[in-house]
Amino acid sequence: MTYRFQRSATPPGSRVIAARGIAVVLALLTAGAVLRLTGAAPVALAREVITDTFGSSFALQDLALLVSPLILTGLSVSVALRVGAWNIGAEGQFNAGAVAATGVGLYVPGPPLVVLGLMLVAGIGGGILWVAGPALARAYAGVSELISTLLLNFVAGLLVYWLATGPWLEPSGRAIGTTARIVPEIPALWDEVHWGLAAAVIIAVSVSMLLTFTRWGYEIRLCGSNLQAAHYAGMPVRRHLITVMLLSGAIAGTAGMFEVAGTVHHLQGGISNNFGYLGIMVAVLARRSMLGVLAGALFMAVLLNSGIILSTRGVDVSTVLAVTGLVLLYTAIGDEIAHYRFVRAPEPAAARINEMSST
Amino acid sequence: MDLATGLLHTAVLAGGVPALAALGEVLTERVGVINLGVEGLMALGAVTAVVTVVATLNPWLGLLAALGLGFAIGLVFALVTVQVRANQVLCGLALTLLGSGLAAAIGKPYSGTPVPALFGPLPLPYLSRIPVLGQALFSQNILVYVIYGMLPAGLHYLLFRTRHGLNLRAVGENPAAADAAGIPVQRIRFCYVAVGAALAAGSGAYLTLCFVPSWSEGVVAGRGWIAVALVIFAGYRPINAVLGALLFGVTTALGFLGQARNWPIAAPLLSMLPYLATLVLLIVPVAASPSLRRLMAAPAALGLGYFRDER
Repeated sequence: MTYRFQRSATPPGSRVIAARGIAVVLALLTAGAVLRLTGAAPVALAREVITDTFGSSFALQDLALLVSPLILTGLSVSVALRVGAWNIGAEGQFNAGAVAATGVGLYVPGPPLVVLGLMLVAGIGGGILWVAGPALARAYAGVSELISTLLLNFVAGLLVYWLATGPWLEPSGRAIGTTARIVPEIPALWDEVHWGLAAAVIIAVSVSMLLTFTRWGYEIRLCGSNLQAAHYAGMPVRRHLITVMLLSGAIAGTAGMFEVAGTVHHLQGGISNNFGYLGIMVAVLARRSMLGVLAGALFMAVLLNSGIILSTRGVDVSTVLAVTGLVLLYTAIGDEIAHYRFVRAPEPAAARINEMSST
Repeated sequence: MDLATGLLHTAVLAGGVPALAALGEVLTERVGVINLGVEGLMALGAVTAVVTVVATLNPWLGLLAALGLGFAIGLVFALVTVQVRANQVLCGLALTLLGSGLAAAIGKPYSGTPVPALFGPLPLPYLSRIPVLGQALFSQNILVYVIYGMLPAGLHYLLFRTRHGLNLRAVGENPAAADAAGIPVQRIRFCYVAVGAALAAGSGAYLTLCFVPSWSEGVVAGRGWIAVALVIFAGYRPINAVLGALLFGVTTALGFLGQARNWPIAAPLLSMLPYLATLVLLIVPVAASPSLRRLMAAPAALGLGYFRDER
């Protein structure tokens, strides 16, 4: 009797979740070990991070403010993945949504609530506009949406920077690199935390319902898992691809609108705070489950918040980006390893033949 | 130098960055592995080169250190994607995040300090005296000649004129058939993933030792992704990749020129040019001609792990 690894095409869910748990723990341990090597005290730092993240109501509010954009960007990437498209451009669509919403918020007169509504429409429109090019190029010319959405992130980042330091710069000149305060704001839900958080959860749940319980959702999921089969079954594959990518952009644009109207109240360079890229992490951790997006967003918010806390303790902020990369890498490895089982197997045929010929 | 010469000179210099990375990525993708970690590798290569040159005052050692680091990371990437067969897109994105984050943390003390020793210009005899073109093309540093001349020519020969190149492409098109023909699929993939990663990190070193002679966070600024885009535009051919990179260089140089001459366009808008130009390069040719799309198609097994059992 010999032992060998056996690969199954679809691993059981419990095994995948276990593999992911181990991956996250290993990534944090690796990061701790590296910190230890650079002379920091990781255990003491971790304790501080935990008390500073969950210890007070202020801290929890900060966390909640990070969770809502991450839910939406994560959802954005996740929805696109369901139809088999990599929307790496949530970052750019977030920025585009923020720009469009700011434009309306600063320059459209009217009662605040009406302007707020218009800002939301503009934010959604900005996100859709930013993803439309890559969506059409993918659908009609087969251009990799992964690369095209990504390239537009840089353009959007520069657009935000240009507007905030140039044409839309605060007119009094007291502030540098930011627009004037946007007056209409999303009402508060809990002190600093605005209704954007609740809206993000509602959006995530409704998209999840759409994908799970409607015929449209079924067709989308089929397109995502087997494009050929969906095509031969007579489904409008191209239309589904475009619609879902536009929906994905709209969600990311909404996140940008929430950020300027609810949290920051200005447009400034770097407003997207890597939310779009971290959204990829959220979507990957969520693994096709829209509700997993909520858990993934919470996890990434804690990670991002830890980075902000650690940066006041002399650890570089970019370490968070590196740790995120580690989590992603270990998760990818864990996902593959989850396919394997260690089984007892009869000896390989070749060995048996050798035995027979020798006797 | 007159206007055209200066523009072309800067274009060639700027295009060298994505050109080198794209050449590496051509090799990696030709054996069927997509490495989306180029951006992170470039950041690590750039910072390694700066740290090494500050310590040793020798640009060659800086380049060598970056290449070596890239090769080592490439081996790890191959272990994860070729041996373990984890999802290549995820691992590439992870490498980009990890590399960019690490490079920023390592490079913090070096941020903004000029690199003490660079690759200086090396005018080629006779050729550099040709009017306009001589100054622009043949008075560059030595790496430019390697990136635009020797490397693409050598790789083109390797890929399309040798038996080994045929094997290499077979591994990327149909690994099962290649395996049946006795070609060591996994070994070839390991080898070229590592070489590709080394060149990506090397292009980071070129960035800080030839083009922007200092390190700062975000200095790579998406050039790694532009390299990945150029590989697609080039139809996975080394010579096309370098020509595409030169076009990218021209848009970068135009941006610089606009800023230097105080064109009435804001600097951030001019900085958008290279990304938009790359996007146009990516979309327009395939949108215009479906037959070109077939000719320039990706290797058939790109992004797929090879399982011998499932043959």
